Amino acid sequence: MLGHVTGRIAQALVVMLVMSMLVFVGVHAIGNPIDVLIGPDVSQDIRLETIARYGLDRPLYEQYFTFLGRILHGDFGRSFVFGMPVLDLILSRLPATLELTLSAVCGAALIGIPAGIYAGYRPDGFAAKIIMTVSILGFSVPTFWIGLVLIMTFAVELQWLPAGGRGDTVAVFGVEWSFLTLNGLSHLLLPALNLAFFKLALMTRLARAGTREAMLSDTVKFARAAGLSEWTVLRRHVLRLIAIPLVTVFGLEFASTLAFAVVTETIFSWPGIGKLIIDSITSLDRPVMVAYLMLVAFVFITINFLVDLAYVGLDPRLRKAGSR
Amino acid sequence: MKDISPAARFWAEFRESRVAVIALAVVLLIIGVAILAPLVAPQDPYDLANLVLMDARRPPGFVGSAGYTHILGTDAQGRDLFSAILYGLRISLQMGLVAGSLAFIVGVSLGIGAAYIGGRWEAFIMRVVDLQLAFPAILLALVLSAMLGQGKLQLIAALAAAQYAYFARTAHGAASAERGKDYVEAVLSTPLRSWQVVLRHIFPNCLPPLIVVATVQVASAIALEATLSFLGVGLPVTEPSLGMLIANGFQYMLSGRYWISIYPGIALIVLIVAINLVGDRIRDQVNPRLKR
Amino acid sequence: MSPSPLLEVTNLVTHFHSRTGIVKAVDGVSFALRRGEVMGLVGESGSGKSITGFSIIGLIDPPGRVEGGSIKLDGRELVGLPSSELRGIRGKSISMVFQDPMMTLNPMLTIGTQIRLALEAHEDVSAAEGRKRAIAALRQVRIPEPETKVDFYPHQFSGGMRQRVAIAIALLHRPKLIIADEPTTALDVSIQAEILVEMKELVAELGTSMIWISHDLATIASIADHVCVMRSGKIVEAGPVLDVLTRPKHPYTQSLLDALPSRAKPGALLARGAGTDAAPPPRLARLAESGRRKAEIPYFVIDAVGKRFQQKAGVLRLLAQKMGIARPAPSVQAVDSVSLTLTRGEALGLVGESGSGKSTLGRMAAGIYAPDAGHVLLDGEPVMSSGDRPHKITTRIQTIFQDPFASLNQRMRIGDSISEGPIAHGLVSRAEAGHYVRQWLAAVGLDPAFASRYPHQFSGGQRQRVAIARALAMQPDVVVCDEPVASLDVSIQAQIINLLIRLRSELDLTLIFISHDLSVVRHLCDRVAIMHRGRIVESGTASEVYDHPQDPYTQRLLAAVPVLPVA
Repeated sequence: MLGHVTGRIAQALVVMLVMSMLVFVGVHAIGNPIDVLIGPDVSQDIRLETIARYGLDRPLYEQYFTFLGRILHGDFGRSFVFGMPVLDLILSRLPATLELTLSAVCGAALIGIPAGIYAGYRPDGFAAKIIMTVSILGFSVPTFWIGLVLIMTFAVELQWLPAGGRGDTVAVFGVEWSFLTLNGLSHLLLPALNLAFFKLALMTRLARAGTREAMLSDTVKFARAAGLSEWTVLRRHVLRLIAIPLVTVFGLEFASTLAFAVVTETIFSWPGIGKLIIDSITSLDRPVMVAYLMLVAFVFITINFLVDLAYVGLDPRLRKAGSR
Repeated sequence: MKDISPAARFWAEFRESRVAVIALAVVLLIIGVAILAPLVAPQDPYDLANLVLMDARRPPGFVGSAGYTHILGTDAQGRDLFSAILYGLRISLQMGLVAGSLAFIVGVSLGIGAAYIGGRWEAFIMRVVDLQLAFPAILLALVLSAMLGQGKLQLIAALAAAQYAYFARTAHGAASAERGKDYVEAVLSTPLRSWQVVLRHIFPNCLPPLIVVATVQVASAIALEATLSFLGVGLPVTEPSLGMLIANGFQYMLSGRYWISIYPGIALIVLIVAINLVGDRIRDQVNPRLKR
Repeated sequence: MSPSPLLEVTNLVTHFHSRTGIVKAVDGVSFALRRGEVMGLVGESGSGKSITGFSIIGLIDPPGRVEGGSIKLDGRELVGLPSSELRGIRGKSISMVFQDPMMTLNPMLTIGTQIRLALEAHEDVSAAEGRKRAIAALRQVRIPEPETKVDFYPHQFSGGMRQRVAIAIALLHRPKLIIADEPTTALDVSIQAEILVEMKELVAELGTSMIWISHDLATIASIADHVCVMRSGKIVEAGPVLDVLTRPKHPYTQSLLDALPSRAKPGALLARGAGTDAAPPPRLARLAESGRRKAEIPYFVIDAVGKRFQQKAGVLRLLAQKMGIARPAPSVQAVDSVSLTLTRGEALGLVGESGSGKSTLGRMAAGIYAPDAGHVLLDGEPVMSSGDRPHKITTRIQTIFQDPFASLNQRMRIGDSISEGPIAHGLVSRAEAGHYVRQWLAAVGLDPAFASRYPHQFSGGQRQRVAIARALAMQPDVVVCDEPVASLDVSIQAQIINLLIRLRSELDLTLIFISHDLSVVRHLCDRVAIMHRGRIVESGTASEVYDHPQDPYTQRLLAAVPVLPVA
C-alpha cells in the first residue's frame, strides 16, 4: 500500500514536470507579448529594454529553467497586464471559482444520482422517461447557451435573479465568499445551475446505466430471493455496486468543471479564474496562462490520486491484493 | 432463412426504437439541408448586396424590404436569420464531421496499433492517452486554438487533438478483448500479414463501441466548436458557424431581442440531441450486459 | 389418505412477451412435492426448468409473466399474491441457490454483512446477535474458522466456499423449500461431490424439501428421490429417480440417456449414431505424400515444457524492483515441466480440474503459446519458431476451441472463415475455395448452402461444427480439442462426439482432447493423462487409469464423479 502511494507520487511528479514543459513551450507559441506590454509607438530603446527586463530575448530553454527555478520558490512571475504577482492574482480569484464549481458538482450529484438510480430501477416508467429526456437535453445543450437562456428567463424577463457578478461577500479567514450572504447566494444560483446542468445529466445517465445493469445481475436476484426489500436492495447492494464509476466521474468532473467554469464565468461575469484565463489568452498574458495551466494540471493529478485512493477504500478486492 | 449480415441485423434491431429512427431521420435531414443550403435558403446571408441595414434586428415574421417574410427574423446586420442558420449549420456540421473523422482515424490507429503491438509501446501510448483523458477537452482545445491561431484548419486540428484520446481508449479496449478471442488465435496461426489480421478481423469487430463514441464525439465537437467560437477563440468571423451567430446575438438578448441568439441555439440543440439519441440507441444495442 | 403435499404446482404457465412474439417458457407444468422430499428437475437448455423455479419463488422479471395455473405452498396460493407478501415468503419459506457463485454474492460487502441483510429481511436482530447468527450459519455449511471468515469479502473465497455461503444464506430462516438452480454446474467435480453430500445431509437434518434443477442426470440421481424431465416447457416424464433413469417410458428421456457417453461402450457412436449422416471429408491429393514419415523418431513429442504467467511490470516498477523498494509481481506456474509422447493416430485425453494447466498445455501443443521451457516437436520438426517473437510454423496442428461464440469471427461469412486459412497457405486456390468449403460443410453435417451465412444465424452445436470444419480444412495431422463439447447440451454433445469419432477414423487424425469431463474422455480417448497443479500425476491407457487408478488424486477425482444407476 505504502509502496503504491509513493509510486503514484513519483509518477505525479514526472507528469507535472512534463506538463510544465509542454505548457511552457505551448504558451510561448501564442502571439508576441511584447506588443501587449508596450504600445506600438514607443521607441526601439524602450522596446529592447522591456524585452530584456522580462527576459524575452533569451533562448526558450533558458527562460524555462529560470521559470522552473522560480516556481520551486513559489514565484510564478508577474502578470504583464495586472502588474502583480501571478500567484497572488490567481489565489485571489480562486475562491470564487471553487465556490461555483463545488456547489455545481455537489448539487448535480445530489440530484442526479438519485434520479438516475430511480430511472434505472424503473426504466419503463413515466418518471424515468421524463428524467431521461431532461438528461439527454442536459447532455446535449451547450453550457453557454443554457447560460443565455437562464439569463434571459430569470434575469431579463422575470427579473428574479441578478444576471452577473458575485454580489455581497463575507470574508472568512481573509477569503471572500458569496454563499454566506443572501445577496451573494442569489448571484451564485444561476451560474451554479448553469454549470451543474451538464454534470447533472452525466451523473443521471451514469447512475441509470449502472443501476440497470445491476438490477439484472445475479447479485440482485439473489438478494431478492433472500427476501430483501426493494429499498434495501437499492440502498445496500445497488448503490455499492455502482459506487466506483460514480466516484470516478465525481472526481474527474469536479476537475473538468474547473475548466468548464471558463464558459459560465464569461457569461455571468463571475470574477473567478476561468474569466481570468480567457482574459489572459486574449491579452497574451503569458505568466498567468502558464500558472493557470499548471494549477489545473496540479488539481487534476491530485484528484486522480484521490480517486485512486477512494477505489482502494471502496473496492475490497483492491484492499488486500494478493490474499485470496 | 436468408443470409442476414450482422449489419442488417443491427439495423433491424435499431429500427425497433421509434425515437431513434426519428432522430436518425432528423440528422440526415439536417445534413441534407446543410449541404443544399445555397439552394434551400431564401437569401445568401453573406452576399453584402442583400443586406439592408433598415431590416436589422427585426422580429420573426417581419416582411423585409426584399419583399419576403423573415420567418425567424433578422440579425444585427439585417440578414435573414433562417438563411444564416442554414449556412451556420453547414459550417458547424463540417467542423464536427471533419474533426470527428480525423480524431477517429488517429485514435483508432493508435488504439488498435497499441493493442496489436503490445509491450512497451502499448504501455507508453496508453499512458499518454490516459493522461490526456484526465485533462478536460475544452481546456486543451482552448489552449491549442489560442496557440495555433484562428482558422478552420487550426480549429479542426485543435478539436481532433482534444478528442482522439476517447477513440484510442475505446479502440484499445475493444481490440485487446478481440485480440484474446479464440478466432484471432486461430487466425494468427495462418500466414496472414498483421495488417490483414487487423483489417479483416480485429477492426470490424471493434466497430460497434467505436460508432457509439463517434456519435458522442461528433456531437461534442460541434458543441465545442460553438463554445470556442462563442468565446471568440474559435473560427474567424469570416466563418459564421452557429456558435458565432449565438455569440453575435448575445448582446441584444438583454434588450429583449431574443431571436437572434435563441433560434441558432435551437438549431444547434436539435442537431446535437438527434445525434445523441442515435448514439444512445446504439449504445444500448451493443451493451451485452443489458441483453438477457 | 396421504398427507397434503408441501408444494402443489398445477398447470403453471409462464410466458415471455417479446417483439417477435410470445415465448411459452413454462407451458402447463404440474407436480407435487412432499415435506422433506428432494425432487430433481432435469432438462436441456430452453426446457423451462429454471423458469419454473423462478416462477415458484415469484421472481419472474418483465417481459416474463406467470400467466396462469396455481402454486400452493402449504395450501396457500402464491400465484397472484401482492409483491409485498411474496417478499415475506422469499427467503423465509422458500429460498433459492443460484448457479454461479462468482456472480451471486456482492463483491463489495463482507460475507457477514450479506448474511445480516438476509437476516434483517425477516427478523429484527441486533448487530451482535446478527454476527453470532452469521457465524453459526457459516459453521453449519462447514466453513472452517467461521469467526474470522465472517469478515471476509467474497473474492477471498474459492468458488466452492462462495457456494457454501450462498447455501448458508438460503438456509438462514429454515425455509420449507429450497430451490437449487444448477448449484454445482459451475464447480469442479470434486467440489461438486462435497456440496452434493453436504446439501443432502443438511436438507435431511432440517427436514427441508428441495427442488434440484440440473441438466445432469447423474447429479440428480445422486441427490433426488423423484425426478421430472422437462422439454419445451412441459414435463414429459415424472417418477421415482430409479424408475425413470433405469426404465424410461418417454422416448425423450430414453434419448437423453442414450446421449450419455458414460452409458455407452467406449468409442461407440452415441444416441444411435445421431448426427453422423454426413458426406466424407475432402482430402487434398498433394498432401497425401507428406504422410511419408521417418519411422525411427516418435511422432508427436511434448518435451519438458513449462509455462509461467507473470504480470508485466512498468518502467517505474522495474526501477523500483532494481532498487529493492518493490517486490516483483506474483507469477503463476501454469505448466511445470510436462512431457508427453503421442503415436500417430492416437487420441490422448488430458483431464484436470480448473486451474490444472490443461488448457495452457494444450495451447502450447497447438503452437498458440510459446513454452518458457522445453519444446514441442511433430515428426522431429519444431511446432513454433525460435527467437524473440516465436510463432507457429506448421499447419499440421490445428485447434478446436471450447466457446463456439468466440471462436468464429462474428462479422465474416462462415465460408470465408473456413477458406481463409487454406487459401492463405495455398492449400486451395481462390477459385477452388467455394467448392472446398461446401465439401467441408457437408462433411460436418451442415447444408453446403450455409457457406454464405454469418455465425449468429447458427445454434451453438452448428457453430461447433463450423469450427471443426475450419480446423480440419487446414488438413492437419494433429488436432487439439480444448473442451469442444463443454458448453453444449447432452444431445448436441453426443452428435459432436459422434462427428469427431467418425472424422478421426476417416482422416487418421491424432487427437489431444482436453476436458474436465471424465466420461467424455474415456469414451473418445485411447490414452489418458491426469493433470493437477501444472503436472501430470498419472497417465496410461484409458482402462488402466479408470479401472485401476494409482495416484491418490486420480482416485479422489474418479470417486467424485456422480454415477447413473444401472438397471
